[in-house]
Amino acid sequence: MTATDERAVEETSAPASPSPPRRSALARRQARAARIFIAPNLLAVAVFLVFPLGFSLYLSFQQWDLFGPIRFTGLGNFRRLLTADPLFTIALRNTIVFTLGTLLPTVAISLVVAAALNQRVRGIGFFRTVMFLPLAVSSVVMAVIWRFVFDTDNGPLNMILGWIGLGPVPWLVDPNWAMVSVCLVSTWKSIPFATVVLLAAMQGVPEDLYEAAKIDGAGGIRRFVSITLPLIRGALSFVFVISIINSVQAFDQIYVLTGGRGGPETGTYVFGIMIFQNAFAFGDAGYASAIAWLIFLVLLSLTGAQLWFSRRNATEQ
Amino acid sequence: MGEQRKAVGRREFLRVAGGVGATLLSASALSGCGGDEDALTFFFQANPDETDGRMRVIEEFGRSHPEIRVRTVLSGPDPMQQMLTFCAGGKCPDVLMAWEQTYAGLADRGVLLDLNTMLDDDPDFAAELRAGSIAALYDTFTFEGGQYAFPEQWSGNFLFYNRKLFDEAGLAVPSRWDDAWTFAEFLDVGKALTQRDRSGEVVQWGFVDTWVPHYSAGLFAMNNGSEWTSPRTDPARSNFADDAFIEGVQFYADLANEHRVAPTPADQQSISAMDLFARGEAALALGGHWRYRTFSDADDLDFDITALPCGPKGTGARSNIGTTGLAISAASPRKAQAWEFLKFATGPAGQAVIAETGLFVPALDAAVRSGGFAEAHANVTNSGILTEGPAHSWPLPVTPAWARIDALMDRNMGPVLRGARPATSLANRLAPDADEVLRTR
Repeated sequence: MTATDERAVEETSAPASPSPPRRSALARRQARAARIFIAPNLLAVAVFLVFPLGFSLYLSFQQWDLFGPIRFTGLGNFRRLLTADPLFTIALRNTIVFTLGTLLPTVAISLVVAAALNQRVRGIGFFRTVMFLPLAVSSVVMAVIWRFVFDTDNGPLNMILGWIGLGPVPWLVDPNWAMVSVCLVSTWKSIPFATVVLLAAMQGVPEDLYEAAKIDGAGGIRRFVSITLPLIRGALSFVFVISIINSVQAFDQIYVLTGGRGGPETGTYVFGIMIFQNAFAFGDAGYASAIAWLIFLVLLSLTGAQLWFSRRNATEQ
Repeated sequence: MGEQRKAVGRREFLRVAGGVGATLLSASALSGCGGDEDALTFFFQANPDETDGRMRVIEEFGRSHPEIRVRTVLSGPDPMQQMLTFCAGGKCPDVLMAWEQTYAGLADRGVLLDLNTMLDDDPDFAAELRAGSIAALYDTFTFEGGQYAFPEQWSGNFLFYNRKLFDEAGLAVPSRWDDAWTFAEFLDVGKALTQRDRSGEVVQWGFVDTWVPHYSAGLFAMNNGSEWTSPRTDPARSNFADDAFIEGVQFYADLANEHRVAPTPADQQSISAMDLFARGEAALALGGHWRYRTFSDADDLDFDITALPCGPKGTGARSNIGTTGLAISAASPRKAQAWEFLKFATGPAGQAVIAETGLFVPALDAAVRSGGFAEAHANVTNSGILTEGPAHSWPLPVTPAWARIDALMDRNMGPVLRGARPATSLANRLAPDADEVLRTR
């Protein structure tokens, strides 16, 4: 019997028996094996993701000091956060400043760098490797090194500024400069990923469009603005949303650079630090969960808005 | 044939991978905490110089109590956060180091055992402890009727001074707390001992601070006659708006920003205050006894100790009642062994060891006045600064809300210590916020 004959037999017997015995046993075995293979990952997702998420949502409506009984407070944590905590407005302002201060330079520099790396020039592989190095460095290691760079008196950055006649900048001592410093580090860290995404999108732009534009007399900048940018809009939009999410969730580099209190004073007191401080310094787990869920809702709205805009643009096109 | 080999290979691969995984899993499970499950866990924080001294106490305990094994758990930079997460996660060490300002947060949450329950069953030790303790230290760990730790040291602050630099300048310092110098005299000494090179860069500082700057500022306020809060334990209000407090903080901030006799916060980014004093590049250093070993081990450093200066509104030179103690976890399954360890480390035997090692200023009167302690501090002429320290100290607040007050102090004193705002700003910013926290805790 050939394979075709086998199929024919199975197909003809199908109406009488919806699942032929031989195939059904195989399918069952495969399904069981699949379940066994998936089970550990599923378990890990349930234990380390779904449960903490659900528990933090539950805690956001409770008051809990990590040890005593959990007391239901309803929307009390959210009310306190939005109306009675002066640090909320500080954290909100700082988070927005940090997000904008990271997002705009990241996108602008990544576009330029991706466009440069998209050129077919000798030794470009080396520059691409160098450019993507920050992506491979841990945030904490990176922040420790930058801390040394930012040292007011002996840091390399101020030494370079000194050579060109500029006075020492109190990078991590003055609250305003501290925010500039963390934005600088965060931008440096974010550029490689954004560049990878934008470069991939740029490499997907058909070459003949550029050639046609060249024949029409369009210069490099004109080609970039009129061809590249519109055709990588999807990737650009993705970079925007991911950068915003990363900025709003920022914690590790700020913690290492300026301490667990978002200092100096409240110069770098962002939501990530606020959650950490309330949870692990003040032991107020319910309140910290409420902050986390409020941030989640804001990010969800932003992502939803981005999706809505992309779909609307796609429909218009 | 080839297909068959491939199928067998895959199965074998999966089998081997499974076997390796299971082996690794069981090995990691076995190598976890299983091997040391019976040991008494002791959580403490210590700088490298202190660790040796602490290990000596543990070794001595091991000699007298061979049946109890002690496993040490060394704290990271934030012990309170570490204790909170350990204990909330059900892995609370049996014996915990306790700090005067943070233990109340743990006691309030029920993490610490009320040691009165153990004292009641051990009346002989209770009598011995109460008779020999320095009351100011012992009472610091009394909160809401419970005794949550026994003190093991006085860790108040005083001044280390470089004897050589003072002698060369022909300057003298007070030898006892009662011979207080004034803020003005202190500033004059600071100016006289701050030296600059031709370019104006400081090559020798008059004064450096090795403690936490906003606490040090508060200590100068204390020396100007203002306690931080009222009352001492579970306070209802802060004194951060008092004129005396504000003047004291302003004086401390001006040392760096106006008079330039001390490094500014920007200077301190790259300069270790301890190194400056240890290298002989600073004449005076504020700190507690925990710096003693570091300075005594420094090459060519001839130092002694002296009292803090007294402000115009002060009633005498003061230190702060800094003390660390030892507590037992309320959830400990090894309370009896933990109690034996506490009795040793905070009782006459352990305190005698501490006195001999020069690790701390002991918390028992007899140990402070023992020959061993004097011998361990043979190069200290003004030993009264240590032995009379607790009697000349004012308390720091003991409140479960300390973490929030501490964060407020750091936040609001920062601009003052940088010279960006006057200390009078504390009255409108720090004081009302701190009062609110204390009121609603």
